[in-house]
Amino acid sequence: MSKQVRLWGLLALLLAGSLLLTLLTGPDSRADEPLPALLTGSVYDRQGTPVRDAEVRLYDGSGGEPLAETTTQPDGRYALVLPETFGDNLTVHIERAHFAATDIPLDAETVTALRAGQSVVLPDTTLLRRITAAFWIATAIFAAVLILIATGQLHNTLAALLGASALFAVSYLGPLLAPELFIFDFEGALRYIDWNVIFLIMGMMIVIAVVERTGIFQWLAFMAYRLSRGKLWLMLPILMVVTGVASAFLDNVTTMLLMTPMTVQIALAMGVNPLALLIPEVLASNVVGISTLVGTPTNILIGSYANLSFNDFLLNLTPGVVLALLGLIVYSELVYRKSFRAAGGGGLSPVLLQALAERGRITQPDHLKKAGVVGAGMIVLFVLGEHIHLLPAVTAIMGATALLVWIRPNIEEMIEAVDWTTLVFFMTLFICVGAIQEVGLISFIADLIGNLVGENLLLAMLVVTWSSALLSTVIANIPFTAAMLPVIGYLTLTIPGAESKVLFYCLSVGSAMGGNGSLIGASANMVTAGIAERAGHPITYGYFFKKGFPALLITVSLAMLWLLLHFLVL
Amino acid sequence: MGEKINHILCAVRGSPQSRATVTRAIDLALEHGARLTFAYIVDAEFQAQTIIGRPLSVIYRELVQMAEFMMLILVDRARRRGVREVDYIIREGNVRRQLLRLAAESGADMLVMGWPLKGPGRPTFRPQDFESFVAELKQVADLQLVTVPPD
Repeated sequence: MSKQVRLWGLLALLLAGSLLLTLLTGPDSRADEPLPALLTGSVYDRQGTPVRDAEVRLYDGSGGEPLAETTTQPDGRYALVLPETFGDNLTVHIERAHFAATDIPLDAETVTALRAGQSVVLPDTTLLRRITAAFWIATAIFAAVLILIATGQLHNTLAALLGASALFAVSYLGPLLAPELFIFDFEGALRYIDWNVIFLIMGMMIVIAVVERTGIFQWLAFMAYRLSRGKLWLMLPILMVVTGVASAFLDNVTTMLLMTPMTVQIALAMGVNPLALLIPEVLASNVVGISTLVGTPTNILIGSYANLSFNDFLLNLTPGVVLALLGLIVYSELVYRKSFRAAGGGGLSPVLLQALAERGRITQPDHLKKAGVVGAGMIVLFVLGEHIHLLPAVTAIMGATALLVWIRPNIEEMIEAVDWTTLVFFMTLFICVGAIQEVGLISFIADLIGNLVGENLLLAMLVVTWSSALLSTVIANIPFTAAMLPVIGYLTLTIPGAESKVLFYCLSVGSAMGGNGSLIGASANMVTAGIAERAGHPITYGYFFKKGFPALLITVSLAMLWLLLHFLVL
Repeated sequence: MGEKINHILCAVRGSPQSRATVTRAIDLALEHGARLTFAYIVDAEFQAQTIIGRPLSVIYRELVQMAEFMMLILVDRARRRGVREVDYIIREGNVRRQLLRLAAESGADMLVMGWPLKGPGRPTFRPQDFESFVAELKQVADLQLVTVPPD
């Protein structure tokens, strides 16, 4: 009996609770109220790039407090929520630093629609740039950074850090004197840092740190000597191919850092001028390095900005690279044939041969095997990654972690292997380039080039390739490439046929192969020259230019030929 | 000048221009029956002029390996000419400072080095720096300095 009572009581309780809940959460009376009208639109600059963080206000009549206000999103869109009542004279006011403010009066039809509760989409608004004091200051700071880097007055990282600090100082302290001095705030600056690039470089640094300790590079150089049986004319192309392929997968600066000492040793042992081998090697590393996404810092920048995958570079550039390399080998053989003939050509003394063999062996075969397995896995992920939206940076981090877990090296040594100086350089460089984008210098340059080439894709390809190649001889190619990316992005949007992203490949060819035109054109050149000097064989600017500039003309022409055939003809 | 020379230090970079320096050092070692030590100072100052992306320790490791081989070539050459006691030493850091330290610590009686380089490349010492180096050397070490012009 009591059990029945309890059951009925429970049921009654449940019923009461349900009734109570229904009363409390009944249909919202607000559901009958009409939704507020929305006034939406998008804001772009002249290059068609969405303008974010623009202040958008709706005014009724002339001035006073705005009826509604918002800021544009990263895609340039905005949405204003209108109040219940408003007058007939509505104006949308849009303003942003470094742009001329614009007012959009709403016509009667639009106002009527809004009053009826309809949401209205306004036509896209194009904001025009406004040159302010901030434009000149940001430009001057960026130019100063480039000059400091080119002249070597300061360490590259310090130069970029100085530039970023100066920009922040102007942005935060300048407006106290004049609002026109504002460039960007800290959050705005951070948005220009491409974290995909930072993490990709970081991950690859760890992978390289494991690989370089195995002695594989030194072994490859020694194998080149053995395979060629000491014949210099044969050893040269082998070394160039080995260096080139290594550069394509493990970045050309590291490749030259590791190949140069061993090449010097082989050359000295054989009695040949080391430069006869080193110069062709570094030229090859700059050329072949662009075959893959990770081969050069410039490709990493380009790939991330333009969303070009590992496959994109491989398929669209490799044939041109192979052509350029063949031309480079022929050129090198001709240039250095006298050096090869003048060399002893005789056998090495047993002592030196033994020393070379000792240096040219794999010191950590187990680590090398594991690195090979992980490396192969990374390449698979790089290749397949674009189909599953896997960023290259993620692949690099996963590969680095897998190696560290599998090999268990000294973790402190591995963390040391991450060169934070380089990472800070890239971060502060992005900020410096972001500043000149912010103030409109990049837009100005984009307009200039856009007017020059019009809608002529062939002309655009030639201008981008050759101007990148020639400018890379005087401006370090990493900051140059970073600054050019938005320009190329604009041209890609405006020139018919450029949607294949061919202009980004042209930039890749020009900025990397252009690095062969002068000693300062590429970091790999400077590293090679630094090591060669310490071996008593300095490479002067003049010497490098005499050997490198003709190589630039040959390789860029051949790579350009491929790009023209591939994108315009075939 | 009648002092007995037991130990000769020869500082070189291995350039073609230093061939004369090495030859002179070997000649002196043979003349005095002295021990000959080739000295090489590894410096990586060039890394400040560009972005390498590798830690300094890696750069030094590669340079030291290269230097060791270059010194082996010189040791081999000295032995073939008949120098009985010959070895090498490699130090890392600023060339001037390390050379002075080496001169003070090695106990050598003579330092043989090339005249400030003339020709391609950046000289290890500019002429005015070389003079001050010589003055400082006299303060830290009691040895004879022999400078050899390039071939």
